[in-house]
Amino acid sequence: MISISKASKSFEQTQALEEVNLDIATGEFISIVGPSGCGKSTLLRIIAGLINTNGSVIKPNKGAFVFQDSALLPWRTVQRNVELLMELEGVDNKKAKAAIALEQVGLTGFENSYPHQLSGGMKMRLSLARSLVLDPEYILLDEPLSAVDELTREVLQEELYDMWSRDNFTAILVTHNIAEAVYLSNRVIVMSPRPGRITDIVDIPFKKRTSAIRNKPQFSRLVNDISEKLRSWK
Amino acid sequence: MEIKRIIPPVLILLLFLGSWHLGALWYDMSFLLPTPLTVAKTFISDFPIIMIGLAQTFTAAFTGYVIAAILGILIATVMSLSTVLERSLYPYAILLQTVPVVAVAPLIVLWFGLEMRSIIIISVIIALFPIINNTLLGLKSTSKTLVELFDYHDTNKLKTFVKLRFPAAIPNIIAGLKISAGLSVIGAIVGEFIIGSGSEEGGLGVQIIYAQSSLETSLVMALILTATALGFAFFITVSTIGYYLLHKWHESEQ
Repeated sequence: MISISKASKSFEQTQALEEVNLDIATGEFISIVGPSGCGKSTLLRIIAGLINTNGSVIKPNKGAFVFQDSALLPWRTVQRNVELLMELEGVDNKKAKAAIALEQVGLTGFENSYPHQLSGGMKMRLSLARSLVLDPEYILLDEPLSAVDELTREVLQEELYDMWSRDNFTAILVTHNIAEAVYLSNRVIVMSPRPGRITDIVDIPFKKRTSAIRNKPQFSRLVNDISEKLRSWK
Repeated sequence: MEIKRIIPPVLILLLFLGSWHLGALWYDMSFLLPTPLTVAKTFISDFPIIMIGLAQTFTAAFTGYVIAAILGILIATVMSLSTVLERSLYPYAILLQTVPVVAVAPLIVLWFGLEMRSIIIISVIIALFPIINNTLLGLKSTSKTLVELFDYHDTNKLKTFVKLRFPAAIPNIIAGLKISAGLSVIGAIVGEFIIGSGSEEGGLGVQIIYAQSSLETSLVMALILTATALGFAFFITVSTIGYYLLHKWHESEQ
């Protein structure tokens, strides 16, 4: 379980985040949506421990952070990029684990390529593989799919869902894309700006996620419902 | 493809040599402006002594260059460690660049004697700043996201430097080293100017002063061309190293 209590943050004069309390169950997938400046990225970094807060954050030990722009090292090959976080965390048996991780995301055969030779989608798969190989208890995702085209985006959402259902990690996803949040999450956290705070929490009742649920009336109802909640704060 | 790329600069060279030759014949004052052919003949007839000069200048410039590279990267690394260190040291790094080296050179010769080490010191002074400045720029422009990634995994400063900041700065370091390649040779020649009077043997700078005083213009030119070629060779060497380090991943070499 991840538990955030009384987490607030001010940058100089502006209050970026008003007291946030949030409990996330183990194995849950939640998304945080909201307009720019609502503090969703700040909240994610507070959970990560990258930004200090007065409140408290309780989380499991082993985690991973997936960034918007893949955050690969351009001078390292695909193979060496998958090994990076294992190096930083002092994990053994890197070669074998990297091979499995690359296979899972369909990058076998690209071991000796460099990031600039990969498509946006492949870069993100590599970034996900690099994190999953740590066998994390939770993963924080900061708009990971915002840089890829619409078609790749939906494919990657399905892949991300498969990873989550296979590996049983807790996932916290920050996104601008409401359909993405509805497709992937158990709960969608709606935030509003000035000061950043949680205004709504929407339960998503779908059991299995397949591309078919995108066409269900209930799916579009949920998307509309959330976007209306977002609009009412503008 | 290769030949097509070589043709334009070769044409320019031929055009240059041709107009030089015609101009020299026109003015007909070979003691002031010898033809390229005369310069080439001098280069061949004085080849042994020019090579002695080249060896000396090469030794001084190369030693100066290597010292400047090591020192420059170290100083920039120290500056990158904290804003306070950078603020304290950077103004003095700028002074290295703004001090008129030609004017300081006599002082250095006074202090360190009429010896190779004075020449090396002058070469270091002139080659140091571009390396410091570019390395520092590189070390300070590490991607924020990547720094966050390393922070998230509680990576210590040394490991972050070795695995992230330094490799990310290599393109800038190479850029600085390229600028300093030619400068180190210039520094060595300046040093030799100050030291050298009246010796026929010595570094290229020493020989230039000597040949000038005896009005051997074609020898002066042959020596200048040799010094130019030396700086060029330094540049090509660093560029080649840079290409091998960077071409697989960095835009600048693709």
